Amino acid sequence: MNAYKFLADGAVSPFAGFRWPVGAWVEAGSADVCRLGIHACRIGDLPFWLGPELWEIELDGDVVAHPRKVVAPRGRLVRRVEAWNEAARQDFGASVLSRTRTRFGAVAVLGGYVGDIERHLATGRVPLAAFAAARAAERAGGPIEYERERSRQAAWLADRLSLGTD
Amino acid sequence: MRLDQELTCAQVVEIVTAYLEDALGDADRERVEEHLVFCDGCSTYLGQMRETIALTRRLEPEHIPSRLQDELLAAFRGWSPA
Repeated sequence: MNAYKFLADGAVSPFAGFRWPVGAWVEAGSADVCRLGIHACRIGDLPFWLGPELWEIELDGDVVAHPRKVVAPRGRLVRRVEAWNEAARQDFGASVLSRTRTRFGAVAVLGGYVGDIERHLATGRVPLAAFAAARAAERAGGPIEYERERSRQAAWLADRLSLGTD
Repeated sequence: MRLDQELTCAQVVEIVTAYLEDALGDADRERVEEHLVFCDGCSTYLGQMRETIALTRRLEPEHIPSRLQDELLAAFRGWSPA
């Protein structure tokens, strides 16, 4: 299956520090969530793992699905999603801000998240802004609203970046 | 992460060694990594810890002046958990 993977600048894994080659298969030996294996995102997972570079990755072997990720014993980077660039990051942040302002801007306490998001975006912290938007939604309607806001963010990414469906 | 799964920065700092030693359970490991995605402060802290570990691994006993070795040993022997 094909999935997506956020990486740090230079195609480096943000947690393991592994520098990914492009096009070559990388073998992890097994797929053990959070420990061994090639970790990747379905579209719905993307907002949780935002990073500087987005890549499409081909996974092979027994792919294990997890609520926030998929894990496979081997994978290879297929292509970088060039549409995930600075302009897209800013637009993504603006969409998160706009939605939160519309929904909660006039609501006591929750309206404070709008200012938080503005500050996060002003300093380029888009993942934190997206998290704050989900948190505002959760404060309003419980955990299900957190997940719904994350789903809206994923839908925005899929549309803007022309990503394939899960 | 959702409120019911949230880790504070202070909690991340407390368990960062366990994270680096791969001693956390799957759920806690994921909670740490989700936190790291949006928390620049904890990401920086984790990077500093990794750098410190890498540097101290390169340190040989003979690189440490004997007086400093004595002071460190005395400090470690006198240390007790709060």
